[in-house]
Amino acid sequence: MGAQALAGVKVLDFMWVLAGPGITRSMADYGATVVRIEATTRTDPIRTVGPFQRDLVAPESSALWWNNNAGKYGMTLDMSKPEARTIVLDLVRWADIVAEAFSPKAMRAWGLDYESLRAIKPDIIMLSSCLMGQSGPLARFAGFGNLAAAMCGFYNLVGWPDRTPSGPFSAYTDYIAPRFGLAAVMAALIHRRRTGEGQYIDQAQAESALQFLAVPIIDNAANGHSYPPVGNEDLYHAPHGVYPAAGEDRWIAIACRSEAHWRALREEIGRTELQADGRFRTLAERRQNRVVLDMMIGEWTRNYTAETLERRLQEAGVPAHTVQNAADLAIDPQLAHRGHFVDPPHATAEHAWVENSRFKLSRTPAQIARNAPTLGQHNQYVLEQILGYSEDRIAGLVADGALG
Amino acid sequence: MRVLDLSTERGLLCGQMLGDLGADVIKIEPVGGSPVRQLPPWLDERPGADNSIYWLAFNRNKRAITLNLESAAGRGLLKQLVAKADILIESEEPGRMAAAGLDYAALSAANPALVYVAITPFGQDGPKAGWADSDLILMAAAGVLILYGDEDRAPIRMSVPQAYHHAAADAAGAALIAYYERLASGRGQLVDVAAQESIGLAGQSTALAALVESAETQRMAGGAKLGGLRVPLVWSCKDGLVSCVFLFGSAIGVFTRRLVDYIFAQGACDETMKNTDWIGYGAKLMSGEEPLANYEQAKAVIAEFLQGRSKAELFEIARANNLLIAPIATIEDLRENPQFAARQFWQTVAHPDGRRLTYPGAFARFSATPMSIRRRPPTVGEHNREILGGELGLSDAELAALAQQGVI
Repeated sequence: MGAQALAGVKVLDFMWVLAGPGITRSMADYGATVVRIEATTRTDPIRTVGPFQRDLVAPESSALWWNNNAGKYGMTLDMSKPEARTIVLDLVRWADIVAEAFSPKAMRAWGLDYESLRAIKPDIIMLSSCLMGQSGPLARFAGFGNLAAAMCGFYNLVGWPDRTPSGPFSAYTDYIAPRFGLAAVMAALIHRRRTGEGQYIDQAQAESALQFLAVPIIDNAANGHSYPPVGNEDLYHAPHGVYPAAGEDRWIAIACRSEAHWRALREEIGRTELQADGRFRTLAERRQNRVVLDMMIGEWTRNYTAETLERRLQEAGVPAHTVQNAADLAIDPQLAHRGHFVDPPHATAEHAWVENSRFKLSRTPAQIARNAPTLGQHNQYVLEQILGYSEDRIAGLVADGALG
Repeated sequence: MRVLDLSTERGLLCGQMLGDLGADVIKIEPVGGSPVRQLPPWLDERPGADNSIYWLAFNRNKRAITLNLESAAGRGLLKQLVAKADILIESEEPGRMAAAGLDYAALSAANPALVYVAITPFGQDGPKAGWADSDLILMAAAGVLILYGDEDRAPIRMSVPQAYHHAAADAAGAALIAYYERLASGRGQLVDVAAQESIGLAGQSTALAALVESAETQRMAGGAKLGGLRVPLVWSCKDGLVSCVFLFGSAIGVFTRRLVDYIFAQGACDETMKNTDWIGYGAKLMSGEEPLANYEQAKAVIAEFLQGRSKAELFEIARANNLLIAPIATIEDLRENPQFAARQFWQTVAHPDGRRLTYPGAFARFSATPMSIRRRPPTVGEHNREILGGELGLSDAELAALAQQGVI
C-alpha cells in the first residue's frame, strides 16, 4: 500500500469514552501514529459497554471499544507514579498533537495543561474536548453525551406528540462532536505546517453539536416557532413515515418528497381510487389527513416483507428503505460494496469486526492495519521504539509499577 | 484556502465549516439561486430567496456567484475557477457531474491538485448508489432509526433532519485530511462521502452486533434494553424531564454510588441500597446473581427522588455532587442556559435586509486562529462582479452579455 495522508503525524491520545476517541480513530485510519494512554486507575468505560463479542462481557470483547480505537497503539500508565509523568512528558516532546477528553480540571491536576505542555514543546497542538467547554459556569460539569444532548434540546425532537419524548439513542452529541473535532485538529495542523505555530483548541461537545440544530435555533429566535415531538410527521412531505412490515419488529420507511413519489406509491398500493380521493389530492390535504393515510398505507405494507416493499418501491422510484437492524446491516449489499465492515487483526479476539472509515479518499485510502489495543498491549513498543528507552530502563519502569 | 461549494442541502454545512475555519468559500448557485433557497421554514413566514432559514443557517462565511452549468460558457467559467481552487464540494446524485463533464476526472485534468468532495446518500457507486433517499430513508438504512422511539410503536426519527449534517461534517474533516496530504504531494484526490455510513456513527457501534454474534439492541422509550435490563435515560421530575444515568461498572458505577449516597443522605433510601456495590452491580445482574426485581426496585427509588425535585434543583445537586443528571431542554430553553451565554456562544449574523439573526457560534475555540463570522449569507449572485470581474477579469460588458445569455 502507498503512503498515507497523515503519515508522520504523531498523536498522544488521552481521550476516552466516545466523542474524543472517534477523532483520533479517524486520524489513525489515515496513517497518523496514535498512542492511546489509559490510566490504570480508570480504564476506558467504553470497555464496559457492548456490543460484546458473543455477549461475553469482558474488557477486550467490546466491539464499541474496538470500533473507537482501531489502529491505535495502547499504553497503560499509573499516573500516581512520578515515572509515569516522565513518560508522558517524553511523549509530549514526541507528539505533534495532544488530545484529551477529561474534565477541565483533570489535566491541570496532572500538570498537563496547555501552558505546561507548551513550555516543553512550543509548537504543540492541544485539543481539549469536553461536554460544555473549558470556561463558563458549567465547565466542570462532566458526563456523557446523553446529558449534553438533553441540555442542547435534542430530546424533544424524538418522540410522539401524545407521550413523553424518548430522545435520541444513547449519547447523541458523542456522534456529532468527533466530526468537528477532526476538522478543528486538521485545521490546526495545516496552520502549523504553514507557520510553525501550535495552538490550543477548546472543543465543547455541546457547541459542536448545536451546529446541527442551526435551523430550529434561528427559526425559534426569529419566528418563535417551537419544536415539540411530532413522531415521524414531516412538515413538508406526506406520506412520510415508518410502516409495519411482515414479521416481528420489521418496518419500512417511506418518504414521498414529491407528487411523483406519491403517485408511484399509490400505484404500487394498487388503489387507483385514491387518486380522486379528496382527502389526499394535495400535500396540504395529505398532511391534514395523514392519520387515515398512514393507516391505509400500513394496512398495505403489513402484508409484505420489508425487503419486498423496499425493492418494489425503489424500483418505482419511491424513497423507501427497510428499517435496518444489525443483522440487515451485516448483509447490506451497499455496505459490502463499500467495504464498510473490516476485521483487522486483534491481539486476542478473532474476527474483531469494526467499521471502516466513513469516507473514502481515492488516492490515499484508509488503512486499518491493526485492531484496537488490548490493555497495555504496546507498552514495550512505545517505550522502546517510539521513546528509545533502554531495556534496563523499561525493566525499571515495569518493576516500579509505572505501567500499572 | 479557496473552496468552491456547488452543494445542495446535503453539503452546505461542509463549506460553512471550512469557511468558519477561515477558508475563502465561494457558493456557486444556478441562475436564479440555489434550490435550497426554496426550502422552508421561512423567515417571517415569507417565502423568498433570502428568507429560507435552511439556506441562512448553512451559508455564513461564503460569497456567492451564479453560474449556469448547463451552458458551455458556464462550465468554462467554472473550470477557470477550479484552476485556482483548492477544494470543490458537490452533492449531486452519482453520475450527474460526469454527465455535465464536471466530475473528478474532468476537473482534476484542469487542476491536478484539486481536492474534490462528493457527498451522496449511499456513495459514488454500488447497488444502492442510485436509490431514492431522504433523511428518514438514510436513518433507516444506517441502522439508527430502529434504535429510536418507543418499543410498542414504529421507530421514529429526529424531527429536525440530521443525516446530511453528519455526512457534511464528515466531509469537512475528510477534505482537510486530503488537503494536508496535498501540502506534501502536491496532488489532489476524490473524497467520497456516503450519508448512510456517516449517520451510522449515531448507532453507537450496535451495527456490529450481528457480526460479533451479539444480541440486537432493542429500542426503548428514553433509553435502551440491554438483555433483560431496561435502562432509562429520560426521567420525570417535578416540573419536567431530566436525563439521568443509572448504570454500573468501574467507570460509570462511581457516579451511581455518589447518586445513591446523596439519596441516602436525604433519607430517601435504605442502608441496603446505600451499601450495594454499584461497580459490580451490572455483572451481578447479567449473571442472575442479583434478581432483576431488585434493579427495578432501585430504579423506583431513583424515580421517586427525581420526581420530588425540580429540573433546576436536580441540576444544582448534580453539579455540586458530580452526578449524571441534566435537565431536558427545549429549543427555547437553550437561550437561557448560562453556559452558552457565558461563553458568548450565540452570535448574531446580519440578514441581507439588515436585521440580526441569532446563530450557533464557533464549533471550537482556537487560541491562535480563532473562528469568526466574517460574512452574512450571500444574496443570489451577490459577488458575481467581484469574483467573475475582479478575479477572472471579465469586463462589465462581458458580464452583461453573460447575464443576457442566462449564463450568470
